[in-house]
Amino acid sequence: MASLSIKLFGKTLRNPVLNASGTLGYGKEIEPLWGVETLGAYVTKGLSLKPHHGNPTPRVWEERRGLINSIGLQNIGVDRFFDEYFPFFKQKRTPIIVNFFGFTEEEYIACAERIKPDKLIIALEMNLSCPNVKQGGISFGKDPDMVHRIVKEVKAVTQIPLIAKLTPEVKNLREIAQAAYEAGVNGFTLLNTIPSMVVDIQKRSVPIRGGLSGPVLRPVALKAVYEISSSLPVPVIGTGGIMNHNDALSFIMAGACAVQVGTATFIDPYAIPKIIEGIKEYLERCRCPRVEDIVGVAHE
Amino acid sequence: MMDDIEGKIIKNYEIAPGYRLLKIRLSRSMDQMVPGQFVMLKVPDSEVFLRRPFSIYGYSRETLSLMYKVVGKGTESLSKATGNERVSVLCPLGKGFTIQKRDAYVIVAGGIGIAGLHALIRKLGKRATIFFGCNNKAELPLMGSAADLNPYVSTLDGSYGFRGNVVQLLAKHMKTIEKKDVEVFTCGPESMLKSLKKLLEKKRIPCQASFEERMACGLGLCFGCVKKTVDEEEPYKRVCKEGPVFDLWQVCL
Repeated sequence: MASLSIKLFGKTLRNPVLNASGTLGYGKEIEPLWGVETLGAYVTKGLSLKPHHGNPTPRVWEERRGLINSIGLQNIGVDRFFDEYFPFFKQKRTPIIVNFFGFTEEEYIACAERIKPDKLIIALEMNLSCPNVKQGGISFGKDPDMVHRIVKEVKAVTQIPLIAKLTPEVKNLREIAQAAYEAGVNGFTLLNTIPSMVVDIQKRSVPIRGGLSGPVLRPVALKAVYEISSSLPVPVIGTGGIMNHNDALSFIMAGACAVQVGTATFIDPYAIPKIIEGIKEYLERCRCPRVEDIVGVAHE
Repeated sequence: MMDDIEGKIIKNYEIAPGYRLLKIRLSRSMDQMVPGQFVMLKVPDSEVFLRRPFSIYGYSRETLSLMYKVVGKGTESLSKATGNERVSVLCPLGKGFTIQKRDAYVIVAGGIGIAGLHALIRKLGKRATIFFGCNNKAELPLMGSAADLNPYVSTLDGSYGFRGNVVQLLAKHMKTIEKKDVEVFTCGPESMLKSLKKLLEKKRIPCQASFEERMACGLGLCFGCVKKTVDEEEPYKRVCKEGPVFDLWQVCL
């Protein structure tokens, strides 16, 4: 029997397959089809200090082999999540990664401070693609100095390991990752969606601007995982257009210790359990005892 | 409980210009559905990326019927299915209509909106008074078996029944309707729902309305398909999860 379990920040996850933040609701929504305990860990919907209403519609738009979303970070707020949903994960003994964001530095810090260490909390995942309202709306993740500062500030208020989820819309991803690393970040999730838009030629207007996800993004994310995992000595979680176990394996071989599956779940709600099963079958077929043995093998 | 069920297209024919009826034989039976619920269908075309939401038009003995209008890439591709294609159907989804005991029921359907009301019409039978509006006479087949229940019909071009829209037609009957303990069930374009809301406002007649929105997952996972409601704390409700049927008075139009 091949082992799918992985170690992340000193804790054991039963497998390396997670959901991408915001693609599995608050977790309970998938329960009629399969249980959250199937996951290596559940990544929360992006949480903020105060509840956030999100954007008007249209919020989703299909592209060729991709999906543009502009949900606008709708969420019930960090406190309500821990009151109403965390007990459910505790009862199911399912570890979680808490994705969080803010529109100001103070909001990031205050939000991270609210989250108390717990044996089921593997890490905080910091969404750095958010617009900084105090700096003209440019996203925090685009400027290495900004990234360095905010990572340092958040690290100062929490004992929980901190993952930075980086935006691909940067001049030099390595420079951004380096800045976060020097500020003490414990790992990375690569990559967030790519900023994009649609033009409606009938109405001669722009119906949606938002983040592009899905298979169209996969080779871009894969390259980011390969490069960052080989240049910095911290774990990298790979995400971007993973549709099946072969895609997941390519990220693992490129250096990801775990993967996140998002858009695929919308097309096949059983994508995650199928990917887990597919990885296991692959390992057994090639007589590989542990999934950890193939992390980064494409580098050798 | 919802499930993802494999199925095979057995029929896909035009019922009126631009409108079609699709019949799918499911490989196993769907859990009991409530009128107003919907399905997410994987269109048998690799160029169509996401599933598409469709109201359940009818369901019996493992045969699922969906009535649809060809409006975009997904339905365009679906309209070309000739039969025997394999599809997967996530069903039944969302919150349907709730039937409470009333003296009278009124159904207001605009165009393809009748697809989402058909199962309810069959359930209520003669207890419901049906108002149906469409563009012209050629679209009358959308009524299906509702045509046997003496519906009031309007066409925008006046080629059949009342000339005008369905809310104008309903307005002519409001005096008799208002006197009873009545509930309205509706589905149709948002402009129609807006004017219907205005018409019902004076007496604030109870009304359940079925909404549509661009959807990605259909399961409440992505928060992509929302409607704005009067709830100040959490205004945006998911059409696929808290809906598609909402109390009309709760929705901001």
